[in-house]
Amino acid sequence: MFFHNNDKSDLNDIADIPREKESALKDDFKDSKSHQNNQNWLKKNYKKYYFNFYANITLPEKIHLHEFGFRHFEGEKMHRHLSFKNSGELHAFVLKFAPSDIYCSSSLYSRPTEPMDKKEWGGSELIFDIDGKDLHLECALTHNYTKCHDCKSIHPGVLAKCTNCNSSRIYIIDVPCKNCIVSLKKEVTKLVNFLIDDFGIERSGIFIYFSGNNGFHLHVLDSDYYPLLSNERSEMASYLLGKGFKMETLGIKKTQGDKFVPLSKSKQLLEAGWRDRILKKLKINFYSSKNSDSDFSKQIEKLENAMKCDFQQMVLKTVDDLSVKIDPMVTMDIHRIFRLPGSLNSKSGLAKILCNDLKSFDPFNEACFFDKSKVDIVCFSPVSLLFKGKRYGIHEGNNHVPRYVAVYLISKGLANIDLKDIQDG
Amino acid sequence: MSIKLGTNDLAKYPFLNEASLYIKDTHFDLLEFDRSEMSFIINRSFEKIESFIKNNETRHYYKIDKFEIEILTFLASLLILKSASIDIITKKFALFESMRFEKYLIDDLKNSFKDETKRLILLKIFKEVFKIDVYAETKTIELYKIRVPEYIRRSILFHEQEWKLINRTVKDGYVYLDVSEIVRLFRNELSLLIIDKIKNMKSITFPKQVLIKSQKLKNYWDSVNKKTDVDIVNKKSVTPPCIDHLYRVLDTGENLPHSARLLLATFLLFSGKSIEEITEMFKKLPDFNERITRYQLEHLSGKTGSSKKYFVPSCEKIKMENLCHETNVCKGIINPVQLLGKRMKI
Ligand code: SF4
Ligand SMILES: [Zn+2]
Ligand SMILES: [Zn+2]
Repeated sequence: MFFHNNDKSDLNDIADIPREKESALKDDFKDSKSHQNNQNWLKKNYKKYYFNFYANITLPEKIHLHEFGFRHFEGEKMHRHLSFKNSGELHAFVLKFAPSDIYCSSSLYSRPTEPMDKKEWGGSELIFDIDGKDLHLECALTHNYTKCHDCKSIHPGVLAKCTNCNSSRIYIIDVPCKNCIVSLKKEVTKLVNFLIDDFGIERSGIFIYFSGNNGFHLHVLDSDYYPLLSNERSEMASYLLGKGFKMETLGIKKTQGDKFVPLSKSKQLLEAGWRDRILKKLKINFYSSKNSDSDFSKQIEKLENAMKCDFQQMVLKTVDDLSVKIDPMVTMDIHRIFRLPGSLNSKSGLAKILCNDLKSFDPFNEACFFDKSKVDIVCFSPVSLLFKGKRYGIHEGNNHVPRYVAVYLISKGLANIDLKDIQDG
Repeated sequence: MSIKLGTNDLAKYPFLNEASLYIKDTHFDLLEFDRSEMSFIINRSFEKIESFIKNNETRHYYKIDKFEIEILTFLASLLILKSASIDIITKKFALFESMRFEKYLIDDLKNSFKDETKRLILLKIFKEVFKIDVYAETKTIELYKIRVPEYIRRSILFHEQEWKLINRTVKDGYVYLDVSEIVRLFRNELSLLIIDKIKNMKSITFPKQVLIKSQKLKNYWDSVNKKTDVDIVNKKSVTPPCIDHLYRVLDTGENLPHSARLLLATFLLFSGKSIEEITEMFKKLPDFNERITRYQLEHLSGKTGSSKKYFVPSCEKIKMENLCHETNVCKGIINPVQLLGKRMKI
């Protein structure tokens, strides 16, 4: 595709994996003894998970037509363009290698193991990614951590610079709170409504997954949408993001005298889609004043006075409120590989798992599959966590915590496993 | 229920399968075009092509004749174009012919809300020609609707904001469109269908009369191409409206489809802008990537990769892509670079 960013590295091709910064950071630690210990320990635990909970894994119907990719605890390299004949073959692979991350393409290919241009694309599920970082929540500024690339220190809160060495080579460790999860769920609900009401997708074809870290992935199985190409999917994404909305779409235009009046009566309008959403939200009664433009203008003026805001601004703000904060790059990229449902997310040790009941879903309970046996860790910063309904106040230094808390903090880079624990696994 | 097209429908839409069937059924032999009573059909076909090509004129041809005449005129036109085999003329004919059909379609569709038989016929035409299911909403409102993916696939070729999905009525998996919108959405496909019809004509023995007309067309074409060389030298440089439009879209920070980028890039390269200058302009694109843009510009300019240079697409091609914004300054030109005046060297 001409002028489009089509030479993405493997890194950018994969949803929700450490991006350049993070992986560069990991590089620094790669040789350190404690990093090795952490990776070894996590791998043992992952192996156990895949032994006991392999049933969590949900595979696409035609597994042999999908591309798989893996990342291992021993090294950063991404292994792509792999395929498996059946579930048994994948199962054996996963148990043997206990990968840190497992990915599977949303697309079907005739030849999934070939390089991209020879794979022969055969359509793709629709994928939507709602990520905590895209919501720009205020709570995230306080409960996340800033890790310094240079001096390796960790600071509570989101900072622009390291307060220890003043370096701006930093990255953010997100530790989502309850509010983060609630806000993410709100976006998911908005998205599901758009998909059903506007795109006509059956609820039964929408699969909501917790991403395993700080977001949700929606997989949509609707054969009508399978053949859509990248730029066509991008058009769907901008619809959901509320991009490019024109005032006229509301059925309203601005007169020369700067008044807002309904468009000509011959224009037929339906109460549906964006128009309907916006009118309802602003409580504009379109038809009560149908016969008089000046009645309508008065209605708008009243609204402007009440909201102390220009009508146009008001509409744009409403569009922004009603839009769904998806990552459009994920939706439009048909060659990405995505975290496999039921696999563990190495950013947190939580599983990417199906949410049967979104409302009650608690990732720190339902996506957490490690046992509560106690292990020793050394934590770099005080952290407060809510796991399995219990609050854990972790302090800096040595802590004796349930395995699932340890896995989470070590995966986040907020703690090391305590050496003496290595022997007994 | 099987829907039978009336002869009037065939007269208006001679590209339909039923029109070809009619010709088959009557055992019409192409060589019959050489018979004297057929000469008026051949002349009619040629005049129509000429008027499209020379005068950009479709108006005279809105009035339809008896269906036999219309079907044969359509067939004879295709034969002349096939025999002449001049790509640009074929495309221009297809475009104008499809604009003519478009007008009938709009009228028919407008009347179809009250007339169920008519509606069914039209929906059948959409199904046959565009392989798409179009549904009518007639209860509270008079609109047509198509499935969302079918809409997007076509609308992304248009870059005007109003075609963006967000500015459409989208409900339960359908996009609602009024009559002129739905016809506009399919204009490209209709003209592609006509081009295909011409391309797919195989192993024909052309009637003599057809060969005579096609030779006339070729002669005309040669003369026009020579003339443009001279004409242009004296003209003053103007920004072609299509290019001007792209500048404006770029300024709003909106995205441009692939075809638009290609047009703009080749045009700017042709007019002597450097890769640096063009890269600078493309920075306004939302998905701008400097390295890739530079690479692609170098490729287009023939600096890297294959030595083949890419030329600025012709107006016909630009029209097909819905990027044309024709105004008076475009009169008689076949490529936007002609408006560059003195710099033009073919
Ligand atoms: S006629 Fe040619 S130059 Fe004029 S706007 Fe159309 S494409 Fe551009
Ligand atoms: Zn530092
Ligand atoms: Zn939070």
